[in-house]
Amino acid sequence: MSLNNIIEIEGLHKSYPNHKALDDINLSIEEGKVFGLLGPNGAGKTTLIRIINQILQPDEGIVKFNGEILSRKHSQSIGYLPEERGLYKKMKVGEQALYLAQLKGMSKKEAKEKLNYWFEKLGASNWWNKKIEDLSKGMAQKIQFITTVLHNPKVLILDEPLSGLDPVNSLLIKNEILALKKNKTSIILSTHDMNSVEEICDEVAIINNSKKILQGSISEIKESYNENLWTVKYKGTQMSFTNAVWGGWEMINNESINEYTNQAEIKLLNDFTINNFIKGLIDHVEILEINKKIPSINDVFIKATSDE
Amino acid sequence: MNKIGLIISREYTTRVRKKTFILMSFLGPLLIVGFILLTAYLSKGNKEKYEILVVDESHLFDSILRNSKKYHLQWAPNDKNYSQIQEIFKKDENLDLLVYLPVNLIKTNSMTAKCLYKEIPSTGAQKHLSSIINEAIELYRVSYNKIDISTYKSIKTRINLDVVDVENKANRNIQRKAFVGIAFAMFIYAFIFLYSVQVMRGVIEEKTNRIVEIIISSVSTFQLMMAKIIGVGLVGITQFIIWAIVTFIMSITILPTIIPNKYSPSMQMNSEESTDLLNQSLNIDPSNETLQFIIHDIQWSYLVIFFALFFLGGYFLYSGLMAAIGAAVDEEADTQQFLLPLTIPMVFALTMAGKVIDDPSSSLAFWLSEIPFTSPIIMIIRIAMGIGDSSVEIWEIALSLFLLAITFIATTWLSSKIYSKGVLSYGKKASYSDLFKWLKS
Repeated sequence: MSLNNIIEIEGLHKSYPNHKALDDINLSIEEGKVFGLLGPNGAGKTTLIRIINQILQPDEGIVKFNGEILSRKHSQSIGYLPEERGLYKKMKVGEQALYLAQLKGMSKKEAKEKLNYWFEKLGASNWWNKKIEDLSKGMAQKIQFITTVLHNPKVLILDEPLSGLDPVNSLLIKNEILALKKNKTSIILSTHDMNSVEEICDEVAIINNSKKILQGSISEIKESYNENLWTVKYKGTQMSFTNAVWGGWEMINNESINEYTNQAEIKLLNDFTINNFIKGLIDHVEILEINKKIPSINDVFIKATSDE
Repeated sequence: MNKIGLIISREYTTRVRKKTFILMSFLGPLLIVGFILLTAYLSKGNKEKYEILVVDESHLFDSILRNSKKYHLQWAPNDKNYSQIQEIFKKDENLDLLVYLPVNLIKTNSMTAKCLYKEIPSTGAQKHLSSIINEAIELYRVSYNKIDISTYKSIKTRINLDVVDVENKANRNIQRKAFVGIAFAMFIYAFIFLYSVQVMRGVIEEKTNRIVEIIISSVSTFQLMMAKIIGVGLVGITQFIIWAIVTFIMSITILPTIIPNKYSPSMQMNSEESTDLLNQSLNIDPSNETLQFIIHDIQWSYLVIFFALFFLGGYFLYSGLMAAIGAAVDEEADTQQFLLPLTIPMVFALTMAGKVIDDPSSSLAFWLSEIPFTSPIIMIIRIAMGIGDSSVEIWEIALSLFLLAITFIATTWLSSKIYSKGVLSYGKKASYSDLFKWLKS
């Protein structure tokens, strides 16, 4: 148990009448880092997020916030943007933002000042007296993002923060998340957008069928799923390439680029190194390019969840 | 302001600022006063004057049948038979009624007088005709039997039965007081449903807007539910106070100008009673009498206090359940299956009100005023009829309030269990078995 962990989850269980949502989940989330919470639909991510937000109570297990058992007083230190977003449609933007800020423990005066800052920053200054129902979906999402981060929460829980946004607004919000990351806000990001995960997250955990199946830093996870795959672009025949080195590797695929050029995908077996392979190959074909094939988080996700 | 206060404040201010609330605050009293005027008008009958053609076959009635301006009698010509007179009646637009008094009517008890109409006469007019015919027959028989008219008058004395409780002389005419109770019961019924349905709608709104998840990450579901119930309840109390003030102002300013000096609220309650009062009005000003009754015979201080307590108790009881229903559905159209069982006890209580008024100390009255789902309506009627031995005893009221409070706490606790599960269950129409599952989990 590290002193730097903002959230620690130990032995968490949660069941619904017809199914088990979480089965012995243990997680630790480091302070100031962006933590990606990944998993297929129905894996238990939303239940876990709701437990951290104290919307649901676990059947077993504990959640610690900054070393203390999670309680109502911590809700002011958490900002939550749920996947199912929504605001009071008939209420005015400013009034609603003030109300939600006060629910997070801010004074009206403080909330007003910060709202002015954020509204200006995200180009929403003219919306104060508009009703939510008069805003576009993207505009409403911006307002909801502002109300989530307004009270400077220690932990920000973002469930699919970019879904439904156009590319411009998506980039805007992504940049804000990165800015918050820079300011050492701890962020739990639940998303299916694996590109964002690679871009934003420091660490990820994958939950599948109510169990945690993987946790680690992006580089560690990628490394652990590294299958020693390489792509080799060469000039020469496929026959020459295949017969150049005997043993220690296997051909996954060979693609002919033009009459003289090919690209092969190979897998090195056991302790056979790329240097050994190149030594054997160099006398038979002309090597144009060699790259190590590192798995993307998307590859890891698919592999991890389909292996289960 | 703490979070609960903040939610109560939002629930309250968003509703009282709505145009519909402001409109209803003034429209409500107008509707009440309008309803009173309409019923008074309808019970009074819309005809100022009846022109009545009388066919008197015996020729004995012309001197003894009482004539008046309002019920103006004119005698059919003697040279025409009954069917010819009917033709005259049909053609003459000035004639409203044709009264046929057969030849033997005055001498036997077996004949029936007939009244033919073009537009059905009011019950008041029918009663008046029946009364003057009976009076004429009696006068004829008095004279025929050579009974002294003063002797007859001394025999024919009309008495009013003053029903007084032996233990408490203040308890008199309790059935009459029940009408005030009925009015209060109707208010309780209307307010409970009006505002508990608002709670349900509020819950559905938060659920369909998905904002509920944000709110309950700051406060517990129980706190949110209670804050909503309290906030909407305060709106109800505010509306009631506004109605009371506006109705009071309207009744002292507008009513006297519309209805001159003969208006009596009790006249529209019961046609028999109104006729009695009309008769009495020959000697007494009914508005004064009724005013005296309303001011002195009703225990207003108790009535208002218990009205507030039973309204709040009933509102809390039903709004907790309505909140649970709101949480169980995704849209208002799905609420019907759950609403019906909730409306039945209240409607049943209203339909039983007549029997309770008839015998306010019966076991039916006792149980209906103790069972929390009907007590807010029935108990307020019994309280209006007078606290004491004759209608309801103070311990019965205390027990009723206690049971209402206990049931309210129990249902709120159960409702909050359904509520906390329901608000997070999207896109699925909950069934009764789902509700039981949520209760058990």
